[in-house]
Order: sequence, then C-alpha cells, then structure tokens
Amino acid sequence: MSPQLSTPSKVPFFRDIRTLKWALQILALLAVFAMFYWLYGNYQENVAKSSIQTDLRFLDNPANFTIPGNDLDQSQPVRDAFVEGFLNTLRVAFIGIALATILGTLIGIARLSKNFMVRTLGTVYVELVRNLPLLLLLTFMNLAVVLQAFPRIENAWLPLDLFVVSNRGIAIPWFIGSPAQLGIGILSAALLAFVVAKIRIRQADKTGKQDRAWLVGIATFVFLVVLIWLLFGYGWELPYVDGRGTTGGLRLDPSFFALVASLVIYTSSHIAEIVRGSILAVSRGQGEAADAIALSGSQKMRLIILPQAFRIAMPALGNQYLNLIKNSSLGATISYFELTQIAQITVGNGSPAVPAFSLTLLVYLAISLVTSLVVNFFNRRLALVER
Amino acid sequence: MITWMRRNLFRSITDTILTVISGSILGYVIFQVFQFVFITGRWEIIQVNLKILLVGRFPEELMFLVGFSILATCFSIASLASGMNRPIDQPPTLAGKLWGLFQRFGLIIATSAFLIVLAGDMAAVLFGAYVVLSIFAGRLFGIARRNTPLKRLPGWLWVAINATLPLVLIFLTMGQAALEEWGGFLINFYLAVVSIALSFPLGVMLALGRRSTLPLLRWLSTAYIELIRGAPLFVLLLLAGVALEFFIPASIAPDAIFRAVTVFTLFTAAYLAEVIRGGLQSIPKGQAEAGKALGLSTFRITFLITLPQALRNVIPAQIGQFISLFKDTTLAGVALSVFDLLNVGTAITKQDDYLGQGLIYESLAFVGLLFWVGSYVMSRESQRIEKKLGVGIR
Amino acid sequence: MKSKSLSVLAVASAAGLFLAGCASTEAETTTPAATQTTTTTTTEAAGSMLDSVIAAGSVRCGTRDALPGFAVLNDSGEHVGFDSDFCRVIAAAVLGDANAVEMIDLETADRFTALQSGAIDVLVRNTTWTATRDGSEGANFLQPTFYDGQGMMVASDSGYSKISAMDGAIICVAKGTTTEGNAALESSRLGLNWEIRSFDETDLILEAFLAGQCDGWSSDVSQLTGLRSAYPNGSDALTILPEVFSKEPLAPAVLDGDTAWAQAVNWAILATIQAEEFGITSANVDSIRDTTTDVGILRFLGAEVPGSDGAAVLDPNLSLPTDFAYQVVKQVGNYGEIFARHLTPLGLDRGLNSLWNDGGILYAPPYR
Repeated sequence: MSPQLSTPSKVPFFRDIRTLKWALQILALLAVFAMFYWLYGNYQENVAKSSIQTDLRFLDNPANFTIPGNDLDQSQPVRDAFVEGFLNTLRVAFIGIALATILGTLIGIARLSKNFMVRTLGTVYVELVRNLPLLLLLTFMNLAVVLQAFPRIENAWLPLDLFVVSNRGIAIPWFIGSPAQLGIGILSAALLAFVVAKIRIRQADKTGKQDRAWLVGIATFVFLVVLIWLLFGYGWELPYVDGRGTTGGLRLDPSFFALVASLVIYTSSHIAEIVRGSILAVSRGQGEAADAIALSGSQKMRLIILPQAFRIAMPALGNQYLNLIKNSSLGATISYFELTQIAQITVGNGSPAVPAFSLTLLVYLAISLVTSLVVNFFNRRLALVER
Repeated sequence: MITWMRRNLFRSITDTILTVISGSILGYVIFQVFQFVFITGRWEIIQVNLKILLVGRFPEELMFLVGFSILATCFSIASLASGMNRPIDQPPTLAGKLWGLFQRFGLIIATSAFLIVLAGDMAAVLFGAYVVLSIFAGRLFGIARRNTPLKRLPGWLWVAINATLPLVLIFLTMGQAALEEWGGFLINFYLAVVSIALSFPLGVMLALGRRSTLPLLRWLSTAYIELIRGAPLFVLLLLAGVALEFFIPASIAPDAIFRAVTVFTLFTAAYLAEVIRGGLQSIPKGQAEAGKALGLSTFRITFLITLPQALRNVIPAQIGQFISLFKDTTLAGVALSVFDLLNVGTAITKQDDYLGQGLIYESLAFVGLLFWVGSYVMSRESQRIEKKLGVGIR
Repeated sequence: MKSKSLSVLAVASAAGLFLAGCASTEAETTTPAATQTTTTTTTEAAGSMLDSVIAAGSVRCGTRDALPGFAVLNDSGEHVGFDSDFCRVIAAAVLGDANAVEMIDLETADRFTALQSGAIDVLVRNTTWTATRDGSEGANFLQPTFYDGQGMMVASDSGYSKISAMDGAIICVAKGTTTEGNAALESSRLGLNWEIRSFDETDLILEAFLAGQCDGWSSDVSQLTGLRSAYPNGSDALTILPEVFSKEPLAPAVLDGDTAWAQAVNWAILATIQAEEFGITSANVDSIRDTTTDVGILRFLGAEVPGSDGAAVLDPNLSLPTDFAYQVVKQVGNYGEIFARHLTPLGLDRGLNSLWNDGGILYAPPYR
C-alpha cells in the first residue's frame, strides 16, 4: 500500500489547485501592494522635494478665516473650522433627507393616483428633474433663483410679515432661548406624545375601535410644546429688515437655501420613483383586502400599503440618503461652508492638500458608514415586524 | 369622454379639489414655459454662442472630423439596431412603425431640428441631411446582414465592424486637436463615453473578485468598492485636481482631462461592479453546475456561461450608470475647470454683450435641454430593452 | 440567445480596447508638454531648474488669464499685463529671448501645487509673500514686483465712506487667499462683525456683487482697481475706500532649495528696478551703452569696462549671461515702463512702488 501513496500520480505542488489559488491571491495582493508602494514612493519623493507636511499638524494652525452665521474666531485652529463644517454638512443632510423623503413620498403616491391631473403633475416633475444634472439644478438655484429672482434686501419680500426673503437669505421666525432648552423641551414633549400614542394603540387593539392614535399623539405633542412654552415663558421673535440685513428670527444663508432646495428637488424625484415601485410591489391582494373591509383611500394607503411599501423601499431609500449626503459636498461650489468648502479654503491658505482632503474623505466615509448602519438597523426592525 | 373625465378627474369632492389645484399648477407651469420659450426668452445669446456651447474652442478646420464621427456613430447604431433585430412575430404596419420611431426618436429629431434652426445656415441643414442619409445607409447595411448577402458573417465580426468605424473616427478626432481646445457638450459626452468604456473591464474584474471564493481577492475588491462608494465624487475630483501629481512621476504631467477621466473611471468601476455583481447573483446556480458537469474550467464557466448572461441581464442598470456618469461629468467643470457645457453656459452670460442682463435663464435652459434630452432618451431606451429582455417577468 | 450575449460582450470589449487605445495615443498627442517635463525632471536630479530651463529653451511661467492690468488674454490669445511682462523679463534674462515663455494659467487654489509638483518653473501670479507660504508651501519668494495692500470696494450709492462705518456688512472675497484672513482680522480689530463669504472665482463675486448680495468687495487695491475698470455698470458705480488694512508684497516665487535659479530670477527683476534708477529705457538703452562713460552703467549692461589691465566685462557669477540686464531692458523695458504700460491706464499710482529716491521703497542692491 505504502508505495502507492507516494505514487507519481500525486499532483505536484505547482499544479495543486490549493497552491494555485493561494499563489493567485498572493500575486494579486503583491500587485496591489506594489501599486501602493509605487504611489507612496512617488508621494514621498515629491513631498520631500519641497518640504510639504504629510501629517495632520496643520489642524492646530490658526484657521485665518471666519464662517458666516457662526462666531468661530479667525484665530481658532483649523480643527474647529473642520468641526463646524462637519456640523453644517450634517445640518444639510438632516433637513435635506427629511424634506426629500416627505416630498418624494407624496410625489410617488401622486404618480399612482387615479386622478389624471395629479398623475400627470407627478410624472412631469419626476421625468423633468430626474434627467437633469444636480449641479445644473444647484447652479440654477444659486444664480437664477437666489441672485436673480430674489429681491435685493432693500425691497425684500415679506410674506405674511413672518418671513423676510431676499438674496441675502431667508429669515424665519424663531424662538428666543438656547438651542439646548429648545431641544430638551421638544424631546420631552415628543417622548410623552409617543407614550400617549402607544397607550392609545394598545387600547385600540384591545377594544377593536377605530384608532386615531397618531393624530392624538401629534395633538399631545403640540399641546405640550405650547404648554412648556407658556409655562417657561419662552418668546419668539419675528425677523425684520434692519438696514442691509435682518434682525431677529433665524436667518438661513442664501447658499444654504439653494443647496437644500436643489438637493431636495433632485433626491425627491429619485425617492418618488422608489416609492412608486415599492407601492406597485406590494401585492395586489393587500389593497384588495383593504377595499374588501371598506377602508377609505387614505386609510388604505396609510395603514396597509405604505408600511409594507417602506419595508421594500428601505434599502433603496438608504442609498438615496447616502447620495444626498455625498452630494452635499457640492455646496462648496456656491460658497456654503460645509466640509468640502472648509477643506478647499484651508488648502488654499497653506494647509497641505493631501492630508486635508484625505481627512475630508475619511469623514464622509464615516458619515456614510453610520448612515448605512442606521438604515440597516431600521431595515431589520421593519423586517422583524413582519413576522 | 365624459365618463373618462368623471372617472379620472372628478370621482369625489376631494378628487375635484385635487384636480383643480394640480391642474392650475400644471397650467401655470405650461403657460410660464410657453411664454418664456416663445415670447420673453432672448435666445440670441444661444444663437451667437452655439458653437462654443457644443464643441468649445474646437479648431474650425478640424470640425469635419467631429462631423464624420457623428455620421459614423449614427450609421453604426442604425445598422446594429436593424441587423440584430430578429424578425418580429407580426410585422407592424407602416403607420405603426412610424409611430414607434416617433416615440423613440422624436425627441432627438426635434432637438436636432431645433439646433439646425438655431445654427441657421446651409451647412447645418446639409449636415442634418447627411445624418438622415447615414442612418438610412446604416439600415440598409443592417438589413443586408439580416437577410442574404452578409448572413454568414460571424456575430462578433459584425459587431466589431460596426464598433470600429465610429471609434476609429472619434479616436482620430481626439488625436488631431489639442485637448485644451475641447469644450462644451462634446467634452461631457467624450468624458462619459471614455470613462464608461475604461471602467467596464475594471468593473467586471471587481465584480468577479467580490464574488470570488478566494478570500484575499474578495476582501480587496470589497474594500475598494466600499471605499469608493463612500466617498463623494466631487471631493475625489478636487483631490485629483490638487494632489494627483504627488502620486505619479512628474513626467506624466496630467492635464485636467486626464485627471477627470482617471477619477470618473475609478469611481464608475466601483458602481458598475455592484451592478454586475447583481447580475451575477441573478444567474441560477444550475448554470454554473451544468458547466461543471460538462467539465469546463472555472474560467470558461465564468466567461462563457455566467458572465455573458449576467451582463445581458443588467444592461438597463448599466445604461442607468452611464446616464448618471453623463450627468456627473458636469462636476469636472467646477472641480477641475474643464470647459464643459455647464461652465460654458454660465460663462457666456458674462460676455461683455450680455453681462448683467439676467440671461442665465436662457443659457441654463439650453444646457438643461441638452442634458435632459440625452438622459431621457437613454432612460427610455433602457426601459424598452428591459421590457424586451423580460428580466423581471420570466 | 447565445450569439446575442456574445455580441454584447464583443461590443463591450471592442469598445474598451479601442478607447484604451485612444487614451494611450491621447497621452502621446500631448507629448510636447510631456517630453519637456521629462527633460526637466531628469536634469533636475543633476542640477538646478536653471539648467533645465536653458535646456528646454523656454520658461514655464505660472500666471492667470483674467486679471485686468496684471494678466489678461488679448484678442489674439496672448497674455498681456504687468505679471506677464515679468515672466518675459525672466525669459529675456535667462534665455536672451523675451518670447521664450510658456504661460500656464493657474487657478488660485492650484498655484502652489503647480509649483511644488514642477509643473511650472516660476510663479508670477500676484501672490502675497507671507511667512507661512515661504515656510510651508515649499515656495521661495523673491524680490516683490508690486507692493500692494488690501482695501475695500463698495457700490458708490451704498453710502459707505470709510471701512469703520461698515458694521455688520457682508464682505465678499476670493476663496483660499490671504484676503480672507486679513478681512477676518480687520473685522475683529474694529469690532465690525462682518460676514465674510468666499467664492471660487472673481466671476462669481462679480455676479453676487451685481445682485446686491455683498456690501463690500475686499481684495488687493491693485486688483480692485483692475476689476473696477472692467465693471459692467461703469467704473463710477464703484468706489474704492481710502483705507488699506494689510501689507501685500506681491512677489514671484520659485521652488525651495534651488539657489541658482532663485538668484537668476531675483536679479532679472532687480535689473528692471536698477535700470529705472539709471534712467535706462528700452528706447535709449542702445545709445546709452554706446555713449556712456559711467562705469556703473557699463557694468550693469554687460559692456566692456576699461580698466588698468585692459577692457573687461563684469561677471558676478549669477549664472546669468553677462548682458542679461541689457536684454531685459531692451526687450521688455525698465520697471517704470512696465508699470506705465499696464497699471497706469487703470488709474493706479506708483505710490509705494516708486524708486527709493522718489519716495517709494523700490531699491536694488548695487551691481558691482
């Protein structure tokens, strides 16, 4: 037996499929390493030639610039400017995602409406916006809408006397007090409202009576907010034109407005298509069953179709949210002080380009990762509800 | 008619209100657009700058090359389309055919006619006639292949002949004029075509790598794809604009177009890889197993069985990727100062004759029209192919 | 079915192949620039940028194309302006031919990267000499060509007459320049609470300014003067406020650590100043050289100076031809001529940029 084990029929190691597989992989790895080594070598060589920084020390240098709508001092380090830019990116992302989801859902539903006019309006919107470059929309918003269509501050529009709209920004009424107070107030109100709504739902489940749980929840929320407001004596103030600017209220930067508006318009057209596809993907039987138990049109949508549609839509929606966040970097082209603009300015002022932009990319990567984690979390939650 | 209206517009009171509201919005928009296009719009800025919008500062004496590449492209697309069609079960009537043509290409034809009218000279009309002629010639060539004379030509050779013609001409055109002279719409189109073609092999490799059973390859591909997908294209372009020269030897001396093509290629490859991976996942396991049963090597199974089917299944998604790349080429304009259509569009409003007259509406409308027609027609074609492939239906 | 999927593959791969071919030949079509850079880098290892410039036979000068007075493109596509002329001065000094210049237009944000990466030999693009830039950008700043200061431009009908009156104003500046920092500093110094918005290009600032989005436009006074002269509503619609709140020495820069090349560029510029001090212009340089007996002038122009041991030409070993000053003045002119040609028409005064013996601070070291 033993001579047969060491027969020449044993595959030589260089034809052994396992060896080959590993050899292939190691080769690939080596190729990648070689490429990185080459790139890194070039980088070192080029950098050494002209004594350029390669580390993040530049973050401690004074920023030497200010950020509109922020009391960042020009002697604070670049680090603080980056943090502020990061926060501005998050601001655009949150507001943009919220508005784009609402608008996109409405238009997605409109596209499936039985009403011809509504359907046409939805289709025109989606087909028009979806096929235009985002940068074109942004340029249009900035150059044509804000700079040309909006009035100068001297003859600002004052809709309802609540807002001040001019090409220097849009001022909206805002409460007086610190953001922390506002946050705590709203959060606690929302929490209470949520609890109330949950109790209502449980009751409705028990009694089988028609529930208005969420309506009650919202009512509770508004009531609580007003109550806190009255109890603690917060005020709110209206903006008014004051010389060449506005005083009072909250002033939204014109570039902020242009950026959010174009991101919302662009992304909502994509979200509308996703919502439409998901609604169509909810099996017909669900809608028919809803009809059979005589739910109204809005009840059918709200209670039966949309929850299931959103479950289907979640991964695609997550992608759109990621796109919106990444697209917010275009704010730099219209001078909105988000992450990319900060990086551009500080590189222009003498910070080394490669570390500064690499840091920026890493931050975007981190935001993307966190967003997809959150989306995955909701995705799993929604999927669990089904069973 | 009245039943239709009752059913579609005035089902209930809420429905009627919705109809009135959305109808008035729609009416208002249509009225405004009509007024802008035909009455208030001052289009001479477009007329005067038409050439710079379309091809930038491309040298006049080499324009014939651009013309020939367009003609060749039209010829090839027409011949491929008619040559590959298998006979349909019921041949449609002439009217039906015309209607189908109108649906598919009406927009392109209308836009071309509009451009010819704008250019307003005999050369443009003549060129339009040549385009029509080349399409007919292409059709004839295609029909010749489908019927008798060229029937025995192998498929790959047929495709190669058709692909070579325009590509050789496009490549000749590029070789002739210095890249700084390119601009306008030509550059958007050029960037998109070159980048998608270059990213295709890379995308296929990444997709195969990500589905590979070899862990190292899989990790490398996954890392690349996820890293690129997490980064904003605009920042990548900016980085390439200021930092690419640090990573390559100074002898290469990249110009803006080179930088743009590099970034677009690397970026699109990651997205394309995900699209192709989706296609690979849609192929039933049985296909590969059948290949194994026949004793084919893994290489052959991939390239002869699974990959071709996967690529075919995701043609619409690939077109979608191309469309978004086509739109994203505008980013090269702001990030790398490439003189692309959008840049030209905003620049012409700052010419001495037009500065401060609020002509940005006219110019952006024209820029938008070109992008819109391009993307819309492509996405319609992609939907048509999707239906024809019947991917979701089987 | 199979043949179809095959042909799809074939189209794709054919397209890939061809376009790959395109890309590689496309790299070849740009060879003039590419080969040139190759020679630069190969010689760079051995010697100075000066040698590579002489080998290439032209100076690659980083400049811009749209700043009135300093560098603009004229109708026939040539660069005209104060900065462009100093590019020519360098070429005339080093190569003896003022036209041996390749003007390379740079964005503000890219200018230092271009210098660091060796894409240009010298940067003459109204760049302020600051310590940080000198230290960390790998740039070596030389004799300033223009002493400038940052000022403020407002609309004439805005009612602002001095900077301290501009409380809470919106100030527009160019992105990635020293003007951002200066404006921020001035704002906090005077407690004015400015909102400073920075834009990519002057075009965008102009747009915002025209629409009334900005109250003030802050930049170097020389730039403001040029921009004012080209304002679409007429230059009277704008006023440049009298105060100047920063020192902006605009100087050419070369890559750090290359003494020979830095010396050559430096002395080319100093020659224009010295020539003005001597009263030598492009018109009279020939006759002065032939007739003068002033030893200083003869030395300066690289003519033979009679001495005890026969006539000799002064060669200070600047790695420049001995007649470089003659070539500079003959082909381009002296400092005063260059200034008068490009900046006086904009309405700029000599001011600080007069000779030292005329109330200014232009002062060239003695040539001996």
